[in-house]
This record gives sequence, structure tokens and C-alpha cells, in this order.
Amino acid sequence: MIFVKKTSPYISIKADVKTMMLDVLIALLPTLIFAFVVYQLNALYIFLISISTMILSEFVFVGVTHIMPYDGNKHSFKEKFKFAYKTYNINNVLGPLVSGVIYTLIMPAGAPLYAVFVGALFGIVIGKLVFGGLGHNIFNPAAAGMLFAKLCFSSQYNNNIESFYFTIPGLSSGGSGGDIAVGGTALGNLTNGYEHIYDYSLLDMFLGKMPGTLGEAFTITILIGAIYLIVRRSADFRIMLTYIVSFALMMLFAGICISSLNNKIGIFDFLGFELLAGGLFFGAVFMLTDPVTSPINLPGRMLYALIAAIITVYIRLFGSYPEGVGFSILIANMMVPVIEYPKWSNPKFTIKNVSLMVGLFVVFTSIMVLVIMFGDKIAL
Amino acid sequence: MIAKVRHIVDKKRLMANLPTERYVDPKYVYIATNNARCDKSELYIKVGDHVNCFQVIGMRFAKYFVQPIHATVSGTFVGLEKHYHRNGKLIDFIKIENDFKDTFDSSVKKRSDEEIKKLTKEEMTEILKDCALVGLGGSSFPTYVKFQTNEKINVILINAIECEPYITSDQRIMREYPNRIINGILYALQAFQCNKAYICIKSKYKQLKEIYTEVLKPYPQIQLKCVGNFYPQGWEKAMIKSALHITLKDNELPMQKGIMNFNVSTIVGLYKAIKYNIPVVKRNITVTGDGIMYPKNFRVRVGTPVKELIQLCGGYKDPEKNKVIILGGPMMGASIPSDDCIITKTVTSVIILNDVENKEEQCIRCGSCVMSCPCHLQPVLIMNAVKAKDKERIKTLNPLKCIECGLCTYSCTSKIHVLDFVRKAKIFAKL
Repeated sequence: MIFVKKTSPYISIKADVKTMMLDVLIALLPTLIFAFVVYQLNALYIFLISISTMILSEFVFVGVTHIMPYDGNKHSFKEKFKFAYKTYNINNVLGPLVSGVIYTLIMPAGAPLYAVFVGALFGIVIGKLVFGGLGHNIFNPAAAGMLFAKLCFSSQYNNNIESFYFTIPGLSSGGSGGDIAVGGTALGNLTNGYEHIYDYSLLDMFLGKMPGTLGEAFTITILIGAIYLIVRRSADFRIMLTYIVSFALMMLFAGICISSLNNKIGIFDFLGFELLAGGLFFGAVFMLTDPVTSPINLPGRMLYALIAAIITVYIRLFGSYPEGVGFSILIANMMVPVIEYPKWSNPKFTIKNVSLMVGLFVVFTSIMVLVIMFGDKIAL
Repeated sequence: MIAKVRHIVDKKRLMANLPTERYVDPKYVYIATNNARCDKSELYIKVGDHVNCFQVIGMRFAKYFVQPIHATVSGTFVGLEKHYHRNGKLIDFIKIENDFKDTFDSSVKKRSDEEIKKLTKEEMTEILKDCALVGLGGSSFPTYVKFQTNEKINVILINAIECEPYITSDQRIMREYPNRIINGILYALQAFQCNKAYICIKSKYKQLKEIYTEVLKPYPQIQLKCVGNFYPQGWEKAMIKSALHITLKDNELPMQKGIMNFNVSTIVGLYKAIKYNIPVVKRNITVTGDGIMYPKNFRVRVGTPVKELIQLCGGYKDPEKNKVIILGGPMMGASIPSDDCIITKTVTSVIILNDVENKEEQCIRCGSCVMSCPCHLQPVLIMNAVKAKDKERIKTLNPLKCIECGLCTYSCTSKIHVLDFVRKAKIFAKL
């Protein structure tokens, strides 16, 4: 028995990094199962390719970064291997696994497998490993990989996918690629005019009966995961809430403007469509809340979510890409060092903090309203 | 876990109901020659001299004050011995062999109620100075300095919150000596000429609440305040905020707002000093933790070696496991590299824990430390600045506000000892 000299405090909570990542995996599980059921083999292939790419990349990374220093002696490969993988632990598997599952769920079902592979490699290497691995990355690896694959290979994506909903005739509401325009996703159709929000009913969109990426359409399972994460406190609900609420408010104003210009469009139909089509909930629950890439103080987190919401709204309304969640997450990730710069960030809610948030929201909402009302490029 | 941690493990339920065991006559007592605030001392006695209980046997010198050293038993001065003090240093202790007669010094006198009624604040200050009363909650700040304030005091707060887990010594004092506490408060009220005092306890201590609503009935000027159950509720700013809804600014003393606060053990010491003119020679301590066989509450003589108390508790549990010995609470106490340490006036508890090696992982910026910090600091940013040796940024982050409550390390998901980095930052910021 030895008396150990330590410094206070001597006790700590039970939760650790491993349990947090396991919680995220468990929260992702319902959505993943749903994706397997609906997209069957397509989903399985994408899943296997992305997680194996990511876990293997991390494995190679650990070996490359822990090379045995030169000490004059010759060492066998076994010794070198042992030295390099001394620090390899469960976190080196769970981290890429979480990224891989999220990446799987935001890839479109029609993505060719080489695109999946290249995107996964880009996401894990450029998005995470070059910064130093877990805890050092600036960008969300899944979002980076998905956007890279989308920018490089989107012309190769196959838009007519066999899915569970479309193979069973009774359940089909949109038709299996018959009359739908080439754009594919529900949001993509909007570039042809806002009347296309009536292509899918709100209930169908809520249940995921629309073409889209593997996981982001199933709002119910995403919400189940969100509740699990919030109960286990493995994700910050303030980020999710700020992002969704400020997005909904801005879209409400946009909806009012658009319906005043075009009386065929209902305000709340538009709002519901914008909330349910695309990856808003998935991004809010699983990607924006990634603790590594979000600020560490509460006002900063809310400001970060607000910035992401504003960018999402702008890309969706005025951008040439139909979906803005991925871009908005990456751009908000870039803002994190600025948001938490100690000279002006304050962990308390002060008048300065709150007025900055309210001011940003008001300024960008009014610009948005002005552009919709007086800009002539909005498709109506 | 991404959450504001306020409620930490408690582990008090069993200990609070254990009766206090008296162990007031050890064979030898050891009295510290210096302590955290006083670094020099002078002895008035020689080896072989007979000393009486409460006799002044020396003097400690600090920067701004002197503090008499009192013998806590009667007996023979054997010599100086090196032992561990509460502050973790190996210092000289005066070893006195107990003759078990408890002969009192001539300075002891019982003051009648009429005599006490006539005492002014200045006279009480002198008495407290002679009795070397210090803050017994762990601060060891001289109480007479608090009495010297010229501010008008409106309300006196008695801190009996004891927000640290495991410790129950204040609760036992509250249960066993309500009379001493009430009289002590009455003396303090008389000294500051104010007519309002609040005893602050955690709202979950139902039994204490029942006892004190009954006991305090004849004293309308003393009231019970039930405050929150969270940690660090016992921090004076948090206590004042919960009890009186007054928020103190940084660098603002409670006295400037007309508030005076004492620990409940200090109030018992104050009662003894005013009533009998004696210093603190006995105190309640808790010996507990998962590394000890039978946890117990003790009332011990100041100067008792910890080893004897551990033997009284049945020795160590699981002797093959490494142990951590803590004097004070598990969140803020000091760990001692050996069990060869001594109970001094300010030790509230001895906690023996089995050592758990926590593997440090990479910070994943969950932000729990930032949310939990009661001083609204950003411990993780301070840590990064210390790692980068960025003095400018450390100063911007203002680590000197830190009270070392330990919540940042307690709440850390990656098991990083954040508080150690904040301590380093405090040294950097003072440069």
C-alpha cells in the first residue's frame, strides 16, 4: 500500500469520451436501421465502404504519427508496430465509426461507390486527421466528405433508386421516378418554382417517403435519437433548438413574403416543407452539435447555431445549390475560433451577447425580406 | 457529458446519523510550530518543562499579525518532531506527553452573563486575539481581524452548509451543541450591535431543520435559512446570494455590504473564547472514505495524530490498494503523502480513498468545465493558453478569479486535471 500524493479534487464524474461516442452511436441506430430497411443493399454498401475507409484511415494515421524515434538500435517490425500502436485505443475506433455512420446517412442512395470512398477518405483525412485527430479538427469530417463527394461527382449520382417505399405500389406517393424532374430531391425541385412544395405531402415527408439521402428524411427516428441524446446529455440541446427555431422564424418571414407575391403558396405549407425536406433535423441533431467543432461557451454556441441557420436559409433561398445544411455547418465551424476569442467572448449571457444575436438575426432577416420582395431572380 | 454540474456525489447520509465518538485523551499531542499563514515561530518553553492545558507555549509570526500557540493538554514538553501538516509540508511539531490530569492554566476564567453583557467589540477582539481563534472551516483566517472592521454590519450569516461531500463534522456540531452555537451567535450580535442572524443549512437536512425551528423559538433575532443543495453553496458569495439575494462583485468583501459570515465551528470557538477565555482545543472531525474499515465521527483533541484515529476506525480496508489521504474535503482538501499527519485546528475531516488511476484523454471541447465554473471562467481556454505559454491570453482570461472549487476537473469528460493548469495560470498571471 502506497500513499499517493495528488492534487484536489480527488473524485470525478463517471461519464467519459467513450460513453459519449457510444451514446451518439446508439442515437444514430434507429435512423441507420430505417435506412437499411428503406434503401436495402445500397445503404449497406455505402455504410460498409464509409466506415471501413474511415476506421482504416485512422489506423494508418496512428501508425504513421507514432514512428519509433531513432536510438541507434535495430528494431524488428513487431517492436515498431507495438510502439506505434501503444496509444491506439477504443476512441480511435469509435471516433471514425461515428463519423462514418453520419457520413453514410447523409450520402444520397444513388451515389456511386467510388464517390462514397473518395468522399469518406477526404472527410476523415482532410477534415480530421491532418489537424491531429480526435479533438483537434476544425471541420465536421462527415460534412466535409459529403460535400467533397457532392461537388466532385454529383453528375454521376443515380437519381432513380429502388427503395422500400417505391417498390411497394400502395405506399408510393411520388411515383418511382416517372414524372419527377431530374433534380431528384424535394428541395432540388424548388429551383423550378415554389409550387413544387406540393409535390410531397407533409406527412409523407415526415415519414421519409421522398427521395433524398439515406438517413436525413426520417424525421421520427432522428427525433428519437435527439431525445436520447438530450436525456443522456451527450449533445447540447441549445444548439439544436437555436438552429431549428431561428431557421423556422426566418423561413416564416420568407413564407409570408413569398405567399404575398404568389397566392398559390400557403405560409405554413412552405414552412413545413422547408423544415422537413432536406437534412435540417439531421444536421441540427447530429452534425452541428459535434462538441469538437462547436464553441465551448453557451452564448457562443447559440451564436454559432444562429450563424449556421442564417447561412442555411440564404443558401436555400438564393443559392444555386438546393441544400444548404452541409455548407452552413462547415462555414459555422470556421467561425468557431472567432466566436470564442477570449477578448470578446463571455461565458455569461450579457446584454452585449444577446443584443449581438438579436441584431444579427434582425439584420439578416430584413436583408432576406428585401431580396425576396425586390430582387427579381426568385423563382415564383 | 455536456451539462452544468452542480449536484455532485454526497455520501453523507450514513455519516450524519453516526453519533460522535469522543477521543480527547491521546498519549501524545503534537502542536504545529507554524502553519500556512505564519512561517516563523518562537517557543517559550524548554524540553522537560511541565505545561498546563491552554497555556501559551510560544508565538507564531505572520506578516501582519502574531498568533499565540496554546498547549492543548497538560503534561510534559518532550521535544520537537517532524510530521506532516495540513498544508502538505513536513514541519516541526511540539510534542507534549499527556499526564491525563487536565490542569488548567491561570488564564482560564468563567465570565458571568453580566460581565459578557458589558463587553464591547474592542474587548472581544482582544479576547479573540489572545485565544488565537481562526476560521475553522478551513480558511484559518484570524477571526479577530474580522472583528476589527469599521463597516456597519447589518446581518450575520452562519455557514453550516458544508457543501463538500463526505464531511459531516459541522452537522454533528449543529446537532450536539445547539446551546453553544446560539450563545456564540448572541455574542457576535452583541459585538456588532446588529439584530439579525441567519444560520444557513442545506435544504435537504430535514432533521436539522426540525431541531433548529424548535431550539430557535425563544430567539427571534436568529433565523434558519435553508439554501440550495448544490456545490459550491458553501462559498461565501454563493451563500450570500442564496440567503440574502445580494450579488457581490469581484474583489468586494461581504463586510462592505454589511454582511459578516462565520463558520459554525468558529462560532462554537467564539463562544468558548468569550465565555471561558479558552482557545480551541477540541474539534469535531469525520474520518471516512471508501478506504477505511468503519467510518466514524470523532470529537478529538487538537494535535491528535491521524494514525491513531485510523486504528480506532479499524484500519484500512483493502490494504493491497493504494490510498489517497485527504485532510479536508475531497474537492478542495489537501492530500498528504503519508498517514503520519496531525489534526490541527482547521482540519474538518480525514478522508481515505482508494486510488483510482484515471486515464487522461484528448479534450473534446464538451464545455462542461465552462458551464460548471461558478466564477464564470473558461478553464479549458486557460488550459490551452498555459500549454501554449501565452501570457497575454492568460491575463485576458483572468484566472485569479478562480476559487479552486474543483468543479472543472470533477466535470471533465476527458478526465483531464484542468484545475492543475488553472493553478499554473494563476502563477503566470501574478508574474
